[in-house]
Amino acid sequence: MIALNGETISIVLFFVGVYGLIARRNIIKSIMSISIIQVAIILYFICTNAVPGSVPPIGDVVQTQQVADPLPQALMITDIVIGIGVTAAGLTLFIHLYHRFGSTNWQKVMKKRNRHD
Amino acid sequence: MISLHWLILSPLIIGTAAKLMPIKTAKKIMVLFQTALLAVVTMIFVEVRQNGPLLENIGSWPNTIGITLRADLLATALVFLSCFLFLAMIIFVHNKNYADHLFFFLFLGLESLIIGIFLSNDLFNIFVLIEAATLIITILIMYKQSTVAVYDGMMYFLINVVAMSFFLMGLGMLYKKIGVLDFYALEAALRQVNNPASLILPYAFMITAVSLKAALMPLFSWLPKAHGTPSAPSVVSAVLSGLYVKTGIYIFLRLQTAFSPLIDTSEFFVILGFITAIVGFILALAQTDIKLLLAYSTVSQIGVIMIGISLNNPTAYWGGLYHLMNHAIFKSTLFLTAGMIISEYKTRKISEIHGVYSHMPAVGVATILSILGIIGAPLFNGSISKFLIAAGASGSWIESGLILINLGTIIVFMKYGQLLFGHSGKKEAANSDILEKAVVLALSMLCFLGGIFGSDLIAILFKINLSINPLSDGEKMLLFVGSILLGLLIYRSLFKKRNPLAFIRSFELGFNEICLSITLFFAFMVVYLKITL
Repeated sequence: MIALNGETISIVLFFVGVYGLIARRNIIKSIMSISIIQVAIILYFICTNAVPGSVPPIGDVVQTQQVADPLPQALMITDIVIGIGVTAAGLTLFIHLYHRFGSTNWQKVMKKRNRHD
Repeated sequence: MISLHWLILSPLIIGTAAKLMPIKTAKKIMVLFQTALLAVVTMIFVEVRQNGPLLENIGSWPNTIGITLRADLLATALVFLSCFLFLAMIIFVHNKNYADHLFFFLFLGLESLIIGIFLSNDLFNIFVLIEAATLIITILIMYKQSTVAVYDGMMYFLINVVAMSFFLMGLGMLYKKIGVLDFYALEAALRQVNNPASLILPYAFMITAVSLKAALMPLFSWLPKAHGTPSAPSVVSAVLSGLYVKTGIYIFLRLQTAFSPLIDTSEFFVILGFITAIVGFILALAQTDIKLLLAYSTVSQIGVIMIGISLNNPTAYWGGLYHLMNHAIFKSTLFLTAGMIISEYKTRKISEIHGVYSHMPAVGVATILSILGIIGAPLFNGSISKFLIAAGASGSWIESGLILINLGTIIVFMKYGQLLFGHSGKKEAANSDILEKAVVLALSMLCFLGGIFGSDLIAILFKINLSINPLSDGEKMLLFVGSILLGLLIYRSLFKKRNPLAFIRSFELGFNEICLSITLFFAFMVVYLKITL
């Protein structure tokens, strides 16, 4: 029996995102799948090596308390910013693409692109 | 001594500050700045060569905790190469009208990110730098905003983001197991691990992403579109193909070094490199667009580099690294000359371009010199690196495989070389810019100098002494002449009139298929490691 904790859920979520990338032809859904993958990664980082009952590493922490590992949290703040940037850039690019090709379908866009070539 | 982080920051600062000046002044300052940067990097290189690697902890944290920049000999040599090529590119675009403030900001930003990737010692830092570089490159690919480029840019962007997500997931798993993200701490920590099976997943995740970045066999389909997109400025194609793709190989090299005591996949990557090289030149032969042909030839050459660095043989390893540098030089020259040819002839079809040599002599000479470099003609730089890789592989099937790859390269560039001859059908002489001509001629002369002074250059760059005498080896000469004749025969009989490989062009992977190939590569990697470990 696999334990139902943050790690397993995040790995499942990751592959849900990967499935979306493979199986969906809609460009917006592709960008959403990437967001799902990002969320899965963030969840994974936060859950690794997490000890129940530990306190967040913010401000003055009493020495006796167990403090959560600050590094994954610091990394994930950066990754959240990157994730937002990537999603925003992807959607902006998509608006441009939609204006040029008039479709949200990867396959149709690819055919139109090759006609332009 | 200047600190390492200024190497990364200063291009960004200058690129931003240039926005405040009129564009003409900004261009002059840019050239001056690049020259100064090159001088500083040379100083650092001399320092590193004499006194060993430089280490800088940003924020004065103790080792392995904060972000570390580490300049060892290989990293510094690659930084030197990047600064040199960027200087050449900045001079090349000096009189172009698309080179405005925004272009320079993005271009110098890309330079600082590439330098950062080479110097950085921290895996997460590398991830951040690569994500930023992906975004900048997407904008540069779409710079002229043609319809085709919007699709190519979008594909490039999303596929690289997906790949880097795999990288980050692997990073998380690695951090869970090991607890450090610093390359050298990682190397030390991995030696303590006694159960390699626990590292299969992180390794597979990360190597999948890095293989995509380095454009290995099933994962290269994004590369030609991005590097050869019709509307991207030729300097962008040159930097992408000459330099940026090397960052993928560099990280691959670092990862392999760190993981090698536990997980040894060098044999697998030699075979993969071989397949990449073969597939690359077959696809290059099928193309009719000169930029796409050059882009596919990049894939093929990456295969050769991959064979060199994965062979577990010092001679082949240094040969592979020297080939990496040589490829940066001649492929940038080829892309720059291709850009000049396209803007002169207003077409990208190889069959419609004739008489470049008589119409644009300087471009013709530069093209010939760099073609001689890439096909490994004796006395040129390609021959040295290919000779070293072959020497490292002597006695195995790879040696004959390399001859086959070189034969393929020769046929590809015979096809490409057709545009040099014949009548251009134009009356007046081409009026290309004098700076452009100077840059391509200088770069192509380096192909020749890199061949003549090959062993000295290797001794200077990598501090390693390899005895190479390109002329003494009569057998190699005969082999090359034989390959040329055979290539000529195959080209004349098969490819002169029609293209039997044209049907390959109709196969094209869409976004979903590329994502599927990434996942399959990952799954294959996991299964392969499960079986072999």
